[in-house]
Order: sequence, then C-alpha cells, then structure tokens
Amino acid sequence: MKGEPSSLDVVQRWFQAVVTHPEGVRGGAASPEAQALIRLNRGELEAVVRRSRNLTAAERLSIYANAYYARLLECMGACYPVLKQALGDDVFDSFAFEYLQRYPSHSYTLDRLGEKFSRFLEETRPEGEPGEGVSWPDFLIDLANLEWTIAKVFDGPGVEGQPLLTPEALQSFPAERFAEARLEPVVCLRLLSFRYPVNAYYTAARNAGEGEEAPLPGLAAERVAILRRDYVVRRYPLSEPQYALLREILAGAAVGEALAAAAAASDLDDDALAAELRAWFRFWSAEGFFQLVS
Amino acid sequence: MRPPRLGHANLGLGVGLRSVHFDHILQTQPEVDWFEIISENYVDSQGRPRYVLQQIAERYPVVMHGVSLSIGSTDPVDREYLKKLKRLAREVGARWISDHICWTGVLGRNTHDLLPVPFTEETLRHVVERVRVVQDVLERPFVLENPSSYVTFQDSTMDEWEFITRLAEEADCGLLLDVNNVYVSSFNHDMDPDAFIRSLPHERIVQFHLAGHTDYTTHLIDTHDNHVIDPVWELYRTAHQLTGGVSTLLEWDANIPPFPVVHDEVLKAKRFMGEHLPQAEPAAEEGIPVPATAGTTVYHPLHHIRPEVE
Repeated sequence: MKGEPSSLDVVQRWFQAVVTHPEGVRGGAASPEAQALIRLNRGELEAVVRRSRNLTAAERLSIYANAYYARLLECMGACYPVLKQALGDDVFDSFAFEYLQRYPSHSYTLDRLGEKFSRFLEETRPEGEPGEGVSWPDFLIDLANLEWTIAKVFDGPGVEGQPLLTPEALQSFPAERFAEARLEPVVCLRLLSFRYPVNAYYTAARNAGEGEEAPLPGLAAERVAILRRDYVVRRYPLSEPQYALLREILAGAAVGEALAAAAAASDLDDDALAAELRAWFRFWSAEGFFQLVS
Repeated sequence: MRPPRLGHANLGLGVGLRSVHFDHILQTQPEVDWFEIISENYVDSQGRPRYVLQQIAERYPVVMHGVSLSIGSTDPVDREYLKKLKRLAREVGARWISDHICWTGVLGRNTHDLLPVPFTEETLRHVVERVRVVQDVLERPFVLENPSSYVTFQDSTMDEWEFITRLAEEADCGLLLDVNNVYVSSFNHDMDPDAFIRSLPHERIVQFHLAGHTDYTTHLIDTHDNHVIDPVWELYRTAHQLTGGVSTLLEWDANIPPFPVVHDEVLKAKRFMGEHLPQAEPAAEEGIPVPATAGTTVYHPLHHIRPEVE
C-alpha cells in the first residue's frame, strides 16, 4: 500500500509500466516492474490515481492503456498497408502487437516505429523445412522490406530540383571512354532482391477493388529498382542482367566492369546484349536513375 | 504590466496543416490566415512533406507544434531533437514553437501519447527548469499547451490551472490554451471549465486551439475527429473576452473532411468574438454533442504521412 508521495521519476516509471503492459492495467499494476516501484495490492490503484465521479482509477488508466496499443497498431498498419492486407487485420495486429513489445518506440518520430519489423519477422519465423515449396515467412519479410524501403525513399534525400543525366548527355559521352566511365546514381536509388515477387504483389494489392484480394504469388525471385522523382516513389522491375549491371554501378564500379557483370548474368549473345544495353541506359537516364557520368 | 499575448502577433484564424490537404492548398492557395504544423512530421523530412511546407511557409505565417518534447519527463532533454526543431523553425520562419505540459515516456521509450503529470511542487520545479533549458536552446518564443487528460494523481497538491499559471510565470513562457482540452479534462476530472479558464494568466496566452472530441458518456476523449461542440465555443467566447483575442487554430486529425469544411469550422470563431456582436446562434447541428458508439477513433497526437507511390 502506497503511503508517502512518490517521486516524479517513480510515478512516471510506474505509470509507463502499467499503461504499456500487454495484459492491460490489471496485469501492468501486478507486474514485477510496477510492484518494485509502487507496491499495491489488488484494488489499491486509487492510492495512486484518483477516481472520478464516473470512473474508477483502473477504468481511467485503461483509457491510456487501450489507446497505447490501438494507436501504435494503427500506425504499424499505415506503415505496412499491403502487408496488412496480405495477412488480414487480425493476424497483422497480432504480429505487430508482439513486435511493439519486443521493439517499443525509442524515437521522437513515428516514422521509425516500424523500422525493425522485418528483422522481427526474421527473428520470430517458425522453424520450417528448407526447400519445401512456398515459404510464407520469406514472403512476409520480403514484402515488409519493400514497404519499408518505399517509406524511406519517399521521405529521404532526393534530387528534385537538381540536374540529372539526360539520355542526350549520355549519348554524347565519348564512346571510347565509356568503359572507364563511372555513372553516379541518384542518391535515392535503391536495388532490392526478393525471393518472392512482392513488387508485383504490391501492385496487384493496390489495384484490387473493394473486397477483392490479390492472389498470393508462388516462389519466384524478383529484382526491383526504386527511386523518387518529383516527390513520388517509382518502382522498376529488373531482369537479372539489369540488376547485376545496376548493382555494380551502385557499388562504384566502372561501366566496363558493370557491363561484364551484366554479360555474366545474361543468356544473350554479345550483339543482342549490346542492343539491350543501349535501350536500358536510354530508359534509365530518361527515368532519372543517374546524376552524371564522368 | 505585460502586453497581451506577451507581445506576439494575433495571426487570426488558422488551420492545422495535414497531408491530405497538401494538394488542395498548393492548387487553390486558400485565404487562410496561418498554418500550424506538427513539428515531428517535418524535422527529418527530405521529401514531399518538407517541399510542401516550404511552399506554404513562403505564403502563410507558420507556427510549429510538437508532440515529442516530453517536457515533464524525468529522462534527459533530447538536445538533438531540440536542435532539429530550432533548425526547422529558422528555415520556415516559425513565429513560435509549442508543445504540451506532459511527458511521453521514460527509460528512453516514447509511448507517443501525451501523458499527465502530478501537479506537485517537485513536478513544477522540474518542468520550470526544463522549460528554461528549452528556451535557451531554441532562442525563439516557446509556448506550452494544456493537454487533455484522463487521470489525476493522489499526490497532486494543486489544481491544474494553478500549476499552469505558476509554470508560465516562473519559467517565463507563453501558453497555448486548448479550449477543447479544458472542456475534456474538466468533464473527466469533475472540474469547472469556466473557472479553469478564468484562473489562468490571460496575458500569457499566445494561442488558442479548438477541436472536436468524442463523448463516451462517462468520459470524453480528445479525438480531433469532429466539429467543435457548442459548449466549447462558449468557453472560447469567454477566453476571447479575457485575452482580448489571440491566434486561433483548429485541429482536425481523424476522419478529416475536405479542406473547406475544416476552414469553415475555424471561421465560426468569428461568431464568438467581439462584445458588440450579437449573441451567436448555436454553431449548427454539427456542434451538438453526440455520444460515441463502439469502435470509434483512437486519439493520435502524431500523424503518419503515407508515401506517394507509383
């Protein structure tokens, strides 16, 4: 039973322990953490919190406790709307509820609330037999990574208002120096490699009508480039050679080395690949993939 | 004797900037007196939110309103966060920076809620000291808001209005009087909202907030999801008379209607200003309190801005 007034520090640590407890106020007040701060027997919450004309101390504390998870679950759903659609509301919320207990927010911004969600899904994935067909956890982790990358690219650094490498400028670069040249990608360009075609699923889910569900994809690797142009996030499916080429460019390799990586990943003969490469560079430079060539 | 509003401008009738209205504001440039932003949505933004804010700040006065300062917490003040606030304030020319008389977490955690403090001498000393630190860093007018609250503490030794008054006087800061929060907290804690407002240091009130709330019969929750109800407008009339009029802002954070509806709501404030104006008609049907049904809005001090994706 509480006697003397508690220090502000004790009250705050107790209050946080109570209103963030996954079992609610009763479980929170009985938890070792809360009991170590303010020892209360059952029914003694009014030693700390006053009752009002209409509500008991427990009912009043429950307003904060209910809102804590409800608010953060809603925010997690807003961070991962397509993942939530794939899982269904209840399953998504149960994952997010567990996640919030393992990784509570330590940031002033809600923009980071979901930053460890794919790690959490990885850490909590059920034990399965590798190589036995479709792996649901892998799909979820890939989709979480895609949605998180989209969010980061949307509000991260970009190149709006800056000059970019145009197809014409790239075309006029001396051909004999191209192999040694380096293409500087825009700061918002990201390359993603997935075990499942989650980018295609993302598109299907967004295009699904009210009450419709996008079909879950089968096992198939998918490579995607993501960037932001005019403050809108753009997604580009990539072939294996395209992915290999851009990966080398992003790593700072000279164009010649990147071309070699593309060739190694391609089934095309040299002439066909060369024609493809010209088309790719023309398209990518038109879409704002590169800042400059030097 | 202090000047009204501590000498700060009366910016008129403003609207809380929300991302769902970005396109409308940029395209139509509505005749709004000023905008208030949620600081946390912009301090780190390098994308469209920050770009839109820049456009808006070039045309309208802007005030920054935060939800993560946690001025009442016993955790250390987050100086990196303060520096970010200061930088953004400089970049958008914020007239002042505000946050709430609350704490948001301890032990490094952020509950993203505006949690209540016990109104004690210890809390008062603690918060006054931290307000001074914040003011020293920000070097810009700093204003504190009374939050809505749902509990009171046995250890409290003074009323909320006494705590607020002494805090503002001892720390020498401005006040953001949220009239709806006075109504919500007064209902929840069996207090007299009129006495609350009359007991404050009126010359320190720099800004008003107005918003809708949800009535759960036994208690009210500050959901910012509806029109302002008539009893809150009546409190606003009193506050307006006592202060002589200060910058007034409407917050609408859930079930957000089109921008003109939000703007019209704050313009209703004109009906409650001025001793020479006739007694206002009730604000309209939408101003009548309606008890909530199950499964209504969760209150959110902070927004998540959805990415735009093709």
